[in-house]
Amino acid sequence: MATTHEQIDELLAADLHDELTATERDEFHAHLVECAECRQAFQEGKNMNRILNETMADKKADPAFEQRMVSRFRDRVPKRSGLISLITDLMRVRAVQLTAVAAILLALAQMGKIITGESATPKEGRENPMIMSEFDSNRNKAGGDQVSSSLAKTDGRTKAADAVEEEPPPPAPPLDAVTSTAPKPQTERAAGLTKTKKAEFKDEKAPTSVAESQPEFAESPQATPASVGPTANRKLIRNATAELEVVSFDESIQKITAFASEEKGYVATTSSEKQENGKLRGEIVVKVLPDNLDRFLGKLRGIGELKNQALTTEDVTKAYFDTESRLKNARLMEQRLIEILKTKSKDVADLLEVEKELGRVREQIETMQGELKFMDSQVAFATVTITLAEKNMNLPAAFLLKEKAQLSLYATEVEKTYNEIKALASPKVQITTAQIDRDNTGRVSARLSLLLAPEESEAVIAKVKGMARVENFQVQTERVSQGGDGLGENAKTERDKVELNITLSRDEQETALQQTSLQIRTPEVNDKTKQLRAIAEQQGGRIRSSSFSRDTNGREYSTVSLRVPMKNYNALMQSLNGLGKVENVSVRRDDRPNSQIDESNAPADVSIQVYSQGNIVSEETGLWATLRRTIGQGASALMWSVRMIGVAVAFLAPWALIVGVVGWVARRVSRARAARKQSAEEEAGRR
Amino acid sequence: MIDAPEHAVYRAAIQGDRDAFEMVIRSVSRNLFAIAYGVLQNREEAEDVVQDTFVKAWKSRWRVRDSAKLPAWLSTIARHRARDLARKRRPEPLPENFESSEVVEFESAGQKADLDGEVRSALAQLPELHRVALTLRYFEDLDYGTIEQILGLTNGALRGILGRALGLMRKRLKPALASIG
Repeated sequence: MATTHEQIDELLAADLHDELTATERDEFHAHLVECAECRQAFQEGKNMNRILNETMADKKADPAFEQRMVSRFRDRVPKRSGLISLITDLMRVRAVQLTAVAAILLALAQMGKIITGESATPKEGRENPMIMSEFDSNRNKAGGDQVSSSLAKTDGRTKAADAVEEEPPPPAPPLDAVTSTAPKPQTERAAGLTKTKKAEFKDEKAPTSVAESQPEFAESPQATPASVGPTANRKLIRNATAELEVVSFDESIQKITAFASEEKGYVATTSSEKQENGKLRGEIVVKVLPDNLDRFLGKLRGIGELKNQALTTEDVTKAYFDTESRLKNARLMEQRLIEILKTKSKDVADLLEVEKELGRVREQIETMQGELKFMDSQVAFATVTITLAEKNMNLPAAFLLKEKAQLSLYATEVEKTYNEIKALASPKVQITTAQIDRDNTGRVSARLSLLLAPEESEAVIAKVKGMARVENFQVQTERVSQGGDGLGENAKTERDKVELNITLSRDEQETALQQTSLQIRTPEVNDKTKQLRAIAEQQGGRIRSSSFSRDTNGREYSTVSLRVPMKNYNALMQSLNGLGKVENVSVRRDDRPNSQIDESNAPADVSIQVYSQGNIVSEETGLWATLRRTIGQGASALMWSVRMIGVAVAFLAPWALIVGVVGWVARRVSRARAARKQSAEEEAGRR
Repeated sequence: MIDAPEHAVYRAAIQGDRDAFEMVIRSVSRNLFAIAYGVLQNREEAEDVVQDTFVKAWKSRWRVRDSAKLPAWLSTIARHRARDLARKRRPEPLPENFESSEVVEFESAGQKADLDGEVRSALAQLPELHRVALTLRYFEDLDYGTIEQILGLTNGALRGILGRALGLMRKRLKPALASIG
């Protein structure tokens, strides 16, 4: 029972608190019977328990305690509105918290992006400025266009305004012309005026509509006199032109002279010239009485073939009578001046002045008289201008053989050949133009034009042909008849200078006579390509281009294109078989029948692709590559977001720091103040 | 052990149901008071602590992951708060005050007060946990299992604690007990 004795305190308490199991209690009480010490302790414990129960009963919470707690809780934690509590509750959900953190990080990244001015994807970022600049330029352009177009518009508008201002109301003149005869010449003049103005206008600005409408408008007043009223008191100038083709010029002139005298007219002028083909061509001007004009023109048709004829009438009535009345006035003025001279004045200066005036008036009178006379003569006789041309019926005098040759050459060294051709120059071989072009890719071409004496031409052309490979040779002969277009049996034929145009280009530009493409499959692309080069060299071939590539499937391609002379073509093809499996051979031959090219030296192009079989799965799409790329991209995306967050933090940190410092200072100040107050209070309390 | 309806109430309280929380307040406030009093040995302070505990618990109720542990969690808060308060109070010359008040009570309330004072001073000298266990037992008459649960003790630990506490008290109050006996 030693354990019970040792554990007396524990057991005692448990017994008092009724927490012993039945066996424990039995053991305990059994021990108490045996042990006096424990019995006393038990007694004390019982007392202790009672005392504690008594003292504690006072201290424990009063019955209203719970209610008090609840109501104080209600006071201290006021009920919040539904939304706020919902939000605060939501914020306690872990998922929401994570989302919020993610959103904040995202916002930070976004902010960093905004700060750095970087776009989400670099591609977009690159594109944006381009678009911007394009937009800018467009805008500028558009702006410029707008400005210019608006300028043009205003310009056009002012032009239009000008036109409107300058143009007299178009319908008015014809109306006048129809209704009254008297003011017609005036309107005509007005029309003339507008016509000149419009002509200026047209030259300067030329809006087509106005230009088109103008002739109609100008013509209408002219057309009216013929239709309106009798021609009796009118001053009309009638002119006619006719073009005739006749057999014999002289005969025709005689006939026309006869007709003229018949119609009470005369031949004013004749002129003639002999043409290249020995034909005569001339002009004859006949004056006839206006009333007989129509009959005269009718007769003219009998002379030969009438090519064209025109009849014009000019009404000068107004101008005539105007001049006449002005003349009358001037005469009166003259009269008066003479009288003044005779009677009124005695002052020499005045007299001189009067004399001067008189002189001026007389001059005017003379001018006007001249005008009237001219008009009278114009009106009295109609002018008929006849152009006569003899028909072409004779045989040509001679033929000229003009020869033009065009020679295109391919030269290995263009410049050398060019200089050789230039060296051919002699009095009989004239080089008219020589030009050599060199562009930045090293392509050289040359052009020469030669004038060859006929007897030298063939020799020279043959010589030039020997200098390089001929691509093309053309000769064009033209037989030009001199005078007449018949077939002159006896006309002699003469050879003119031969014009030779030469075009020189590098022989690489020559299109191959035969083009071959083929593929060679071999596992060792590189080695075989080297061998191929060696073979090509051996056969006098020239490598024109070569390339090597390896695709994602590990397949290797090597492409060699070379040019060999046709004569070595077959040998080359034979030796290619040794390189590997020759596949997909395709040959294209450009046969040029009748061409003068030398076939054995003509170029043949061979394009050879040496390739190897690829892997089944390419390296690029393999598992490791994908994994590597995924990780790489993920890491870079992560780094990018870290950078953006960093930027945003760097942007915000100073402000947060400032706010923090301010808050800290404020707190310090308030605390210091509180401490001072407290100490003051304490002091006061102590006193 | 917690039965189903209580469990549901705890869960509702954690989720922000005020009525449920008030029910919890009603059910645990006495226990909490006992704990706080055990630590502080002062009714007013203990009451304040209990109140603060509820306010604080309401505000951070979402921290409770297992709703069944809500009462234990509340007890922990109350104990911590009471302990904080006791620590703050320490600079004050507590034993002296104690003595003087004891003296005052001595004179005014006679023997009863004398015994009361001795009990108080004996209690004050006990370790905090022992004191808390005692108050829980004597205030609310709770069985050992419940007290263990409230204080987060392992099964059977309380028996030793209470035994030691009572033993210490017995030895300290021996003369008084003898006189009573």
